[in-house]
Amino acid sequence: MSPKTRLLCLLLVSTLSACVTLPPPSSSPSPPAAPEELTGTPAVAGLVTRADRALDAGEYNRAAEYVERALRIEPRNAALWQRLARVRLAQGNHGQAVQLASKSNTLAGRDEALRRDNWLIIAEAHELAGNAAGAIAAREQAAR
Amino acid sequence: MAAKKKRSTPQRGKRRAVRRKRTARGGARKYWIIRTLVIVGVVLIGYLAYLDITIRRQFEGQRWALPAHVYTRPLEIFAGSRLAPAALLKELESLGYRKQAQADRPGSFTAVGDKVHIHLREFTFWDGPRPARFIRVRFRGNRVVAVTNRRGGGIDLAQLEPRLIGSVSPMHHEDRSLVQLADVPQALIDALLAVEDRGFYRHIGIDPRGLVRALWANITAGEVVQGGSTLTQQLVKNYYLSAERTVQRKLNEMTMALLLELHYSKDEILEAYLNEVYLGQAGNRAIHGFGLGSQFYFGRPLHELELPELALLVALVRGASHYNPRRHPERARERRNLVLGQMEERGFVDSTVARRARAASLGVPRQGAVVATAYPAFLDLVRRQLQRDYRDEDLHVEGLHIFTTLDPAVQAVVESEVARRLARLERERGLLAGSLQAAVVVARTDNGEVLALAGGRAARYAGFNRALDAQRPVGSLIKPAVYLAALEQGGRYTLATVLDDAPLTVEQAGAEVWRPQNYDREFRGGVLLVDALARSHNVPTARLGMEIGVETVTAMLRRLGLQRELQPYPSLLLGAASMSPLEMTQLYLNFASGGFRLPLKSTRSVLAQDLQPLARYPLSIEQVIEPEPMSLLNYALQEVVRSGTARSLQQRFSADLALAGKTGTTDGYRDSWFAGYSGDILALVWVGRDDNEPTGLSGASGAMRVWADIMSRLDLRELQVQMPPQVELLAVDDQGRQAEGCMGTRSMPFVAGSEPVDSAPCATTRVVRETSGKIKRFFERLFNESEN
Repeated sequence: MSPKTRLLCLLLVSTLSACVTLPPPSSSPSPPAAPEELTGTPAVAGLVTRADRALDAGEYNRAAEYVERALRIEPRNAALWQRLARVRLAQGNHGQAVQLASKSNTLAGRDEALRRDNWLIIAEAHELAGNAAGAIAAREQAAR
Repeated sequence: MAAKKKRSTPQRGKRRAVRRKRTARGGARKYWIIRTLVIVGVVLIGYLAYLDITIRRQFEGQRWALPAHVYTRPLEIFAGSRLAPAALLKELESLGYRKQAQADRPGSFTAVGDKVHIHLREFTFWDGPRPARFIRVRFRGNRVVAVTNRRGGGIDLAQLEPRLIGSVSPMHHEDRSLVQLADVPQALIDALLAVEDRGFYRHIGIDPRGLVRALWANITAGEVVQGGSTLTQQLVKNYYLSAERTVQRKLNEMTMALLLELHYSKDEILEAYLNEVYLGQAGNRAIHGFGLGSQFYFGRPLHELELPELALLVALVRGASHYNPRRHPERARERRNLVLGQMEERGFVDSTVARRARAASLGVPRQGAVVATAYPAFLDLVRRQLQRDYRDEDLHVEGLHIFTTLDPAVQAVVESEVARRLARLERERGLLAGSLQAAVVVARTDNGEVLALAGGRAARYAGFNRALDAQRPVGSLIKPAVYLAALEQGGRYTLATVLDDAPLTVEQAGAEVWRPQNYDREFRGGVLLVDALARSHNVPTARLGMEIGVETVTAMLRRLGLQRELQPYPSLLLGAASMSPLEMTQLYLNFASGGFRLPLKSTRSVLAQDLQPLARYPLSIEQVIEPEPMSLLNYALQEVVRSGTARSLQQRFSADLALAGKTGTTDGYRDSWFAGYSGDILALVWVGRDDNEPTGLSGASGAMRVWADIMSRLDLRELQVQMPPQVELLAVDDQGRQAEGCMGTRSMPFVAGSEPVDSAPCATTRVVRETSGKIKRFFERLFNESEN
């Protein structure tokens, strides 16, 4: 895949990634279940605190470990996926930063601020990886 | 040279000259000989050194590959966690916590009403040591509502220690249940030396006298009663398992035997031999060593065996397959009694004992019973993934601590349900008891962690690991890849596209004409794409695959992470290719994770013996399918459960779970597959026979039942298929026309711009198929840029 095509795929993803959850089909009518995720449980909050502390100390693997543990508890928490993207970005793993931020986008629902931050992470990761076009495209997405 | 001498003339002067010349020539010859000798010597010494290094490295490696400690996942306890009190108590018991009136020391707990107090033990986790601590856990129903310390202060997250589930050598495929010389019954060593190497404690690695003696004994007995190779030679031969019998090999073997004896004591060599000798085969797993052999043949540790049993193990040294007591009991008995006879002859046992031992039955249970580890199939996966991902040197470290992803609670469910359901299927269908086999993989959809794995119906017994090594045709399990490849083609296909279900003939160069059939051998004319997948119709699937091209489908399979080489034959579209259950799990993980490829993993981290982190398996993902086609496919796979081949699952699962899955059945009902997932768990089941004979089970009547038994006992989260904003629901009729406002319609998702053009006559409103300005511009750019 050429960088340009990749950029375009990225664009495609971004254009279409304002996700909503599909209600069950009309054949079996039932209201969409309320998200059962326990956002902001003390367990997750505690792990995020530990992750941030590790990140500040430059202990990237340790930080990642804490966020991954938090994700095991709340796998659909878009903010946690973004946290992990940030850890990878700080670590210099630009590829995973882009992927994890993309994953966060697919779970971001209507949280536009979170989505914008994901695009900024993607832009920065592309910049650091020397992909100027990708960075520009991601910044355009963030500016929407 | 003699000829030259004769040719020299009698004339003096000439003779002198000749003599001078001859002396010169002689010097040159001498020099040449010395030079040759030196070269040969250097080469020989070099070769010897090479052999020496090779054999020593081998010996040391085997000897010091001390087992690694393998642990389950740790149980996390936190306010809000979904954990039944009974599950916590079970976990505590399995960890050896004692129930007491007061949880006053590490390793004890109390359970009163909805409260459990635990005195956690000290343990070193990946992120460092955790001191022993006291926690109070309060439940409401099957949820933890509070975790506090002794003074009532909140604890955000507590972990039980992971359970030690086995000690394995990460370097070897074979299971080892290593024995130390001191723990080996003397009778075993007596028997071994009596028949294999009488001069063991005297010879220097090779034993010419022993060879002659063995030869004589064999000639007089008229059969092979004693071996000619020393134990040392046999050990060397075992290291380099090869049936090859060349002179060079034999010389190498003898040289290495001499070298081994030079470096190591007799006891060291004997101990290595006892742990190395080949004693049988359990499926693809070699049984090496008397420790494991004892487990394999008798289901008991070596030190518990009686004389006739020990003699039988020694009998197997001569030829584990020839004297296999399960297959050739008579031969095995004869050989065993011969061993006993040799022991008697050498005075190791008196005649009464020997006679009684000779009269004893073989005492080998029919079933192979290797219980070296509690979870052999899962450990197999751990070992292989470690070997794949790390260098040998890194794993060749004494006493590693390996933290796995195994959830023993899920594993227990898998083991019991597989055994129960297979027995029931055999009963209900009049199948031979024990003829069915199964493989199961259960993984988390968000991070690919393998929670449980069964390599066969008797999960505790090591043997052929069907989850990893069975290669079976996958049948309809492959179809989602065909449909995904079609749905990716920018609106050319939608879920409501009418596919042609009429007789299909595919001409293939150099191959038979292919005429795929539906399972019921009927043709329906036209069928909606979503229904063709949900009801698993073969003919429209084959036609669809031919339209988009088989190569497009193989490319999709590669993108989804399938690594094996696939021939792009049309029959691939209906799953003629053989794959392992693990590979198929990996394939479905892409769908279950919403289009992100992530490796299945069995290990979280590895600590060195000193508990320093050594290696880690980080979460690593890659988006391989864009959200739109992925959401359409996931909808279709949910339709399989709602109205398709898996609809009977509705009787057992709430519709709110919105489960997705796919059945697979192969020709003649030989393979029964089911792959399905909720929001958090993916499970894949294969059911069939080892001899590949028909079982009469379809995917739905075999594997899917096992799947349902397992999943219904797990705490599942609903599957929320993420619909991108450009995907909208639209009512369509059974001919795939827009039918908003009509009776008896179905809603299904469409990517904006791909709505059906036609409307049913009863439709009240109609979405005009038109790409919005934004999307149109986008597609134009995509197109233009691609042209560049």
